[in-house]
Amino acid sequence: MDAPQTSPGARFVDPKVLARIGSLNLLARTVVDGFINGLHKAPYLGVSIDFAEHRGYMPGDDIRFIDWRVFARTDRFYVKQFEADTNANFSVMFDISRSMNFGSKGITKLDYGRYLAACLTYFCTKQRDRVGLVTFDDDIVTRIPPSAKHLDVVLHELDRIDAGRPGSLAHPMFRATELFKRRGIVVVISDFYEDPQAAVDALKPLRYGGTDLIVFHLLDPAEIEFPYDDAVSFQDIETGRKLPVVPEKLREQYRALVQEHIAALSKLCGENRIDYALFNTATPLDHALFKFLAVREKLSRVR
Amino acid sequence: MAFLAPLFLIGLGALAVPVIIHMIQRERKEVVEFPSLMFVRKIPFHSFRRQRIRHWFLLLLRCLAFILLIAAFARPFFQAPSVAAVTSGAREVVILLDRSYSMAYADRWDRARAAAADVVDGLGADDRATLIFFDSGAQVGPRSMSDRGSLRALVDAAELGAGTTRYGPALKLAEGIFEDSSLPRLEAVLISDFQQSGFESASGIRFPEGTVVTPIAVGDEARANVSVAGVLFQREYFSGRERVAVSARVTNRGGEPVAGLDVTLELDGRELEALVTDLPANGASTVDFAAVTLDDASMTGAVRIEGDTLPTDDVFHFVITPGQVVHVLLVGHERADAEAGLYLERSLGIGSSPSFDVATTTIGNFDASDLAGRQVVILNDTPPPSGAALAALQGFVEGGGGLLVVSGERSAWTSDAGLLPGTIGSPLDRAGRGGAIGFVDYSHPVFELFGAPRSGDVTTARFFRYRPLDPAESSVVLARYDDGNPVLAERRVGSGTVLLWASTLDSFWNDLALKPVYLPFVHRVVQHLAGYVPPTPWYYAGQVLDLAGQPGLAAVTTDAAELVGVSPSGQRVPVTEGERAGFLALDEQGLYEIHDATAPGDSLLTLAVNVDLQESDLTTVDPEELASAVTGRAGGEREAADAPARTFSPEDLERRQGIWWYLLVVAFCLLVGETVVSNRLSRRALEVD
Repeated sequence: MDAPQTSPGARFVDPKVLARIGSLNLLARTVVDGFINGLHKAPYLGVSIDFAEHRGYMPGDDIRFIDWRVFARTDRFYVKQFEADTNANFSVMFDISRSMNFGSKGITKLDYGRYLAACLTYFCTKQRDRVGLVTFDDDIVTRIPPSAKHLDVVLHELDRIDAGRPGSLAHPMFRATELFKRRGIVVVISDFYEDPQAAVDALKPLRYGGTDLIVFHLLDPAEIEFPYDDAVSFQDIETGRKLPVVPEKLREQYRALVQEHIAALSKLCGENRIDYALFNTATPLDHALFKFLAVREKLSRVR
Repeated sequence: MAFLAPLFLIGLGALAVPVIIHMIQRERKEVVEFPSLMFVRKIPFHSFRRQRIRHWFLLLLRCLAFILLIAAFARPFFQAPSVAAVTSGAREVVILLDRSYSMAYADRWDRARAAAADVVDGLGADDRATLIFFDSGAQVGPRSMSDRGSLRALVDAAELGAGTTRYGPALKLAEGIFEDSSLPRLEAVLISDFQQSGFESASGIRFPEGTVVTPIAVGDEARANVSVAGVLFQREYFSGRERVAVSARVTNRGGEPVAGLDVTLELDGRELEALVTDLPANGASTVDFAAVTLDDASMTGAVRIEGDTLPTDDVFHFVITPGQVVHVLLVGHERADAEAGLYLERSLGIGSSPSFDVATTTIGNFDASDLAGRQVVILNDTPPPSGAALAALQGFVEGGGGLLVVSGERSAWTSDAGLLPGTIGSPLDRAGRGGAIGFVDYSHPVFELFGAPRSGDVTTARFFRYRPLDPAESSVVLARYDDGNPVLAERRVGSGTVLLWASTLDSFWNDLALKPVYLPFVHRVVQHLAGYVPPTPWYYAGQVLDLAGQPGLAAVTTDAAELVGVSPSGQRVPVTEGERAGFLALDEQGLYEIHDATAPGDSLLTLAVNVDLQESDLTTVDPEELASAVTGRAGGEREAADAPARTFSPEDLERRQGIWWYLLVVAFCLLVGETVVSNRLSRRALEVD
């Protein structure tokens, strides 16, 4: 298993360390602030004051945006136009099915996803985005609509959720399309134990309203490496079905199947303009933030 | 229930091994919770289902089969009381009825059958009886019958045989019947004239403990019996025709002399001559009939005496075959001494069975035409023939002829043309007293005659000079000198035989020609090379004849022939069908004829069968002695009540019950069932996968 990778200024984002922090709010601030402070340049800051272009003044324009220097040189009124700083709707769709309750190294996928969602929500709040949360298993469980004031609500809800029922993607995603009427950013956090094509088919409708979709695929290291040795019975957490297994006989084939699954998901997401990222729960959270910011930056060019 | 070999039950422990392994596996088994088995289920042979017991029924089936197998090896049996209790008082009776030809004496046979009938009539309702008829062999009827009517019918239908008395086979059969019997009382009734001649065969037979033997003697003190003991043929040639003078030997085993006994010679069914002779008490006489001229074909004959109280041995049948002649070509060297072939010629000039027709020539004059009509060629100290003559000789041998190469001073064979059994070397001298023959293969037909003690010793001859022989791989060395060099080697060439004698057959290099064994040795060598089989003028009842070995028969039959033997009583016995094809059992006294069923006509072969005269000696043995020999008790204990209680040893009980056999059958059935069930389950599992 890979050792936790740390970025400069992000020493504390090791998920196992974060798990000791009781408050999600404090956790999110620790991660995000540390992350932001550690950046050497801030290409993502002050997007709202970034100059875009000039255009001719038209009656009704705010005279504060008239560029007087250009007027001095050209004797014409031009107003400066900046990169739009439109407040986006940011929502996290968090899979809380029973399979998310698995963790082999002290932290479950549910906890990792919880921290990830908290960090992203906190980060987006700092970007003055409206934040919301949808939790689902085989149906939508809770829904917090996006709002600039919902950080605490979201964090409280994330703190409270518990994985209970078996999950599926198709039904809750279908229902979620009705919730995201306004274009925005939706992050889906799940372990995606579905057929890749079926999973992507379930996700695709979310993009129809112009929503930008980011998929965070969470897997425990044990799910990727299958490090078991003894012949034991394996029980499916969601279905309860038991299967006697000789791990050493099938480890290589299992790994190949998992990689094939990941590759298929990645490929299908790419084809459908869905951003996909795989997260090993042993990976530090700042990797997730980098990934998110890369997408967020792309989305910020809205006029 | 007990076991004869209980140690095998240790094997049951092995059955626990798979179960223990399974239990160990079960103890180690724990459940690991995993988010999804979606990928695991996609992998074939992913699970340790093989390590789990999926089909308890199959496991039980296999375990049961193995338990039965182990139990079968442990030889289980039930204790005796249960067996004895249900059949208390019943008898297993074996009636042994002597039907040897001596029972034809006076009214012995009638009395014997009457005695057997009495025994049958005396059987109780629970008794079971078996009838055994015996002479030299034993014939058993249905075993352990309780139907007295059938037993009486068997007794009434019984016929006298032509064999001699031998108690051994019959008693052995009875012993087997007793051992298989579960009845508590065993009884053997032996009805015979108790001839002493058959007593020896009964040694070593011991009936089970408690068996009662009841001997019923139907003989009497009368021992007077005159019989024809055998015939001799004296062959001679008169005016180019072969004549045979028949001499019959007649014996009197009675204590009174016999005067004026008529002895008759019959040939081909016609009475030729009748003579009268007197016989002393316990003595014999020879009756010489006048010589008769033989035809080209075989003739059947018989010598009869006037009938006495035992008529069976009053006639002696025989078949006279025209004298056999072996045609020999003796090839010498032109410059050889006049005595070089003398011993050979003289020795071959003697003999009538067969007689030898010897033609002589020299190696220089030898050509293919000399081989016509010859069976054996003797190259007596000559070099090999040259050119066409050698090729002709080779063809002669390959075609079945015999060749004897006598190596001497002139036998320098530089090339043997594939004929010789080895390479002849240069002459070797043995100084002093010379060498001798050190090894002889007495199993070979040539030396078979000398194998018995005082039957001639070929090792007494001294060899002063001989040619060493390097035998070929395909040859067989029949005799060696005392220094290891072969003296006589044989090689099969095609259908013929080549013998190489590594010295001379005259008196130059050795003194064998001066020894008494010389003549029979030369005769045996030539007979062997000619493939001569002496005709058998008669056989004895009880012999089984291999017709394939009959030289006269092979020449007149084809592959398609269906041989049928016709017995003296007119019974037809096919001899080319069935399990014993080619064999004919000679059970009756008289003349057997062999016919070809596909070509009606005269018989192909006639065989004379006589009774064994050992049976003519009517000296008896004390019946109680015989009874004691087979029971191991003094002769007085003949009452069933006096017999010790019959006990069964564990081995007896186990063998009688034979439970292991049933266990094996059931185990086999279970294993077959297991195979069927497991195949079906496997197929179903494959279909599901």
